Amino acid sequence: MVKKSWLVLFLIALPLLSGAFVSVLAQGFFQPVPVLVFKIDVGMVAFVAGVIITLLLLSFYLGGLRIERRSQRMLERALKEAELGRRRFLRRLDHEIKNPLTGLRAALVNLQEMRGTEERQRAAANASHAVDRLSRLLADLRKLSDLEERSLENLPVDVPELLQEMVDAARSLPAYGNREVNLLISRVPSPFPTVRGDRDLLGVAVYNLVENALKFTTANESVEVRALEDGRTIVVEVADSGGGIPAEDLSNIFEELYRGSNARGVDGSGLGLALVRRIVALHGGEIEVRSRQEEPRGTVFTVRLPVSKR
Amino acid sequence: MARERMTLLLADDDHTIVDSLAPFLERAGFKVLVVSNGAAALEKVQSHHPDLIVLDVLMPRMDGRETLRRLRHANVWTPTILLTQVGEASERALALEEGADDYLNKPFDPHELLARVRAVLRRARPGERSLSAAWLLTAGDLLLDRRARRASVKGEPLDLTPKALSVLEYLMTHPDEVVSRERLLTAVWGWEYPAGTRTVDTRMAELRRALDDDPASPYYIETISGEGYRFIPSVHGEG
Repeated sequence: MVKKSWLVLFLIALPLLSGAFVSVLAQGFFQPVPVLVFKIDVGMVAFVAGVIITLLLLSFYLGGLRIERRSQRMLERALKEAELGRRRFLRRLDHEIKNPLTGLRAALVNLQEMRGTEERQRAAANASHAVDRLSRLLADLRKLSDLEERSLENLPVDVPELLQEMVDAARSLPAYGNREVNLLISRVPSPFPTVRGDRDLLGVAVYNLVENALKFTTANESVEVRALEDGRTIVVEVADSGGGIPAEDLSNIFEELYRGSNARGVDGSGLGLALVRRIVALHGGEIEVRSRQEEPRGTVFTVRLPVSKR
Repeated sequence: MARERMTLLLADDDHTIVDSLAPFLERAGFKVLVVSNGAAALEKVQSHHPDLIVLDVLMPRMDGRETLRRLRHANVWTPTILLTQVGEASERALALEEGADDYLNKPFDPHELLARVRAVLRRARPGERSLSAAWLLTAGDLLLDRRARRASVKGEPLDLTPKALSVLEYLMTHPDEVVSRERLLTAVWGWEYPAGTRTVDTRMAELRRALDDDPASPYYIETISGEGYRFIPSVHGEG
């Protein structure tokens, strides 16, 4: 490494040296120092050109070194970030597993010690509830890792049809008792362009967003799903007039297992939005969120997907 | 209870699983043999001739996959259910390649295992190669080439998405059996989709369109309302 930079420095200095050499040569070796006499001749031009070229090369070289050092620093920072992210993820995972496991243990102790049939049945129900939670977490973790490995289908997807299907599926869950969800799709001029991709995965993304909106609103608040297109991009928005997401949580909600302060104690694996983000990214799209907790309150998730080329 | 009790061979190295599953299956009326690795499973198959094998994939000494390969290689067609560890698509495809009759992802509900055991036993023709181990499946004019991932009717190739083809594959390897949407989901998609039942219905509609099968009076696929789907015609397997 050291040897190489000496060579580079020598190469940089080469124009300077050769300029000086030529100027001395042009004036003859035994003339007085040419610079002091200051007259424009071939030697002088060669010398000045040498100086300029060397300075240029030197600045390029130093600039290159700086960029290299900067990218090295960025790489280190990214690595550190990834490491931090990994630790954060493990800590959150630990937390998510801890609770149902504690419940499960307690339920099993009850099952062993209690004698009454009713009590035992309650304990068994609690145990199976805890197991359900753990299974759901595992299933979602599996989905996330599966996304990295599976090959995506790459077929035209009818977005309005998909939205309708997923909205119907989410609102017909018993927990939401067929609550109204406004679905707005621009129909003129028809037809709505398609997105190329994996219909099932895109469905999961839409479903998770709609289900989320329903989860964080009450029957008095509204949920709206809308789709627009401008020929290049399809924009799908899932909006609600619910309580909104605290500003300090907004930048983190797409992280795996992140729970915002308003999402503690709410059912869910904590992986839904991470899945959405990953699926959208796999389709060459992007997702963002804006939210307000003061009137007019509400949250809007915006997904942009590229229109498939004909 | 007039019938002789069927014998199951349960091969899994995890004691907590075996200790809970064996009594559960015995309560369901089976005689259960337990081994903890593949080599022992091979011996037990030879000495006890079980009616069905439940084989975990990850085991010490000889894993479930290798065990199954050896069994099939020795022309032993005892129906086998593989317990796979990870819900990976490749793992499911492999399970077919090695001639498993069905597969179940851990963690599973023991009732689900019992349902599969019964279904596989009902389907099994003792000593014969099972449909799950056949590469070419025919049902009337319909031909499914599993290796080439192609289906055709009277020689006319069907235009199917990979998912729809896999749905057809699962149905044809489980003919005359009511297959629930949830089961199709875990078998074909690998995960439980939130709007899963609709996801299945969409592919089923595609499949029926391609087969020109009228849901109201189906020749191939019948909808059993509230339960799932059933592949009606009998299926013949080759190779």
